[in-house]
Amino acid sequence: MSLLVKNASKILMIIIATTILTGGFTSCKSKKKIAREKAAAEYELKVKQAKSDLTAMLNGTTKWSLDEQDSRLNAIKSYNIDDPEVMDLISKVEAKISMDRAEAERLAEEERLKREEAERKLKDASKYQEINNQLAAISTSTTIDAANKKIMLSMDQFASPDVPVLIIISQYGGVNDYDRPTTISKFLNYLKDKQQYKYNVESVKRDSLGKITELELIKK
Amino acid sequence: MKISYLWIAVLLVSFSLSATSQDELSPERKQAVDSLALEKVRDLSKYISIIGSKETPWSEANRVIDRAEELFMPDSEIGVSSLNNPENISYYSVRKYFERLMRLNYKKVEIEWYNIEYMSNLQKQPDGTFVGVITIFQKFKGYDAEGRLVYQDTTKKDITVFVKRKETQIGGRLIGFWDVLLGDMRVKETSK
Repeated sequence: MSLLVKNASKILMIIIATTILTGGFTSCKSKKKIAREKAAAEYELKVKQAKSDLTAMLNGTTKWSLDEQDSRLNAIKSYNIDDPEVMDLISKVEAKISMDRAEAERLAEEERLKREEAERKLKDASKYQEINNQLAAISTSTTIDAANKKIMLSMDQFASPDVPVLIIISQYGGVNDYDRPTTISKFLNYLKDKQQYKYNVESVKRDSLGKITELELIKK
Repeated sequence: MKISYLWIAVLLVSFSLSATSQDELSPERKQAVDSLALEKVRDLSKYISIIGSKETPWSEANRVIDRAEELFMPDSEIGVSSLNNPENISYYSVRKYFERLMRLNYKKVEIEWYNIEYMSNLQKQPDGTFVGVITIFQKFKGYDAEGRLVYQDTTKKDITVFVKRKETQIGGRLIGFWDVLLGDMRVKETSK
């Protein structure tokens, strides 16, 4: 008994040391585990977020611009996520962004051409305004004599009374549909008879003397 | 007998189906062609009022007759009726009709066309020509030297319209155009 009492302090010391050692080891092991679990959770979150973003980009439900989508895609790629679904989504989104970019470029080009065409038409409209005004003036003449005088004056601009006049009645797929071609002499008299000018000059061809050799009109 | 009716029905159905399948014009183009044909009838309306008007100088009336004649197919005829004998409709060649119109024995003549519309829409025929019928109402008024209205009538007329796609070279360019020509103009009704 006295021996037990005598060694009690030693035993207590051993128990304390063992507890400290065991506890310390366990605590160190637990910290690593927590870190691992935390990293795994973060990775899972990243994968989940990547899948969500990639799916949104693929379905076109994101409001990101193409540049923003590109940058998000590059960020996802930099994570090197080893997940077959993510890898599949990445390749699909890459293809979609590339297609969307091509489509956006096509639309921008189309828009540019439309703008150019509108500008050209505006320029042409002002370029041909004088001819349009002269033709309209024949149709609004109040007497036959007045109309005939205007016809004579207008005729001076044309190479001959037989200069062809083409009237576009409709346009489809870049092709023009015309009325039966007529001559400038007949057309000017037609304006006098109809007392109506519902056309716009579309194009004019001139000879070396500046005289009109072909007049193309479009129905308004 | 039953078999022959059936045979006729089959022929009619197959003809109408074939006509539909050949009609390859888009609605926009068809509309433009329809409008063009109506416009030609309106042109004729204007020419008739100019030719008929006693205020139109002789040379102008003759020029307009030439233009008006160009609107018609060769050998087309125009019907003329009178309230005095509405059942007796006389048909004249286009040129003769206009020349009679120019020489009508009134001091003043007013001719107005209204309600110009399709009675039968343009239908594509096997030879590619589109054929339709346009109905018009014509109000005619003739006055004597004292300015009194001595005759007036309203006639309903049907005009056959032929539209064909043609091509021609102009300035080295191939131009595709729609050639609209008017056929016979038949009197359908005459009333006061």
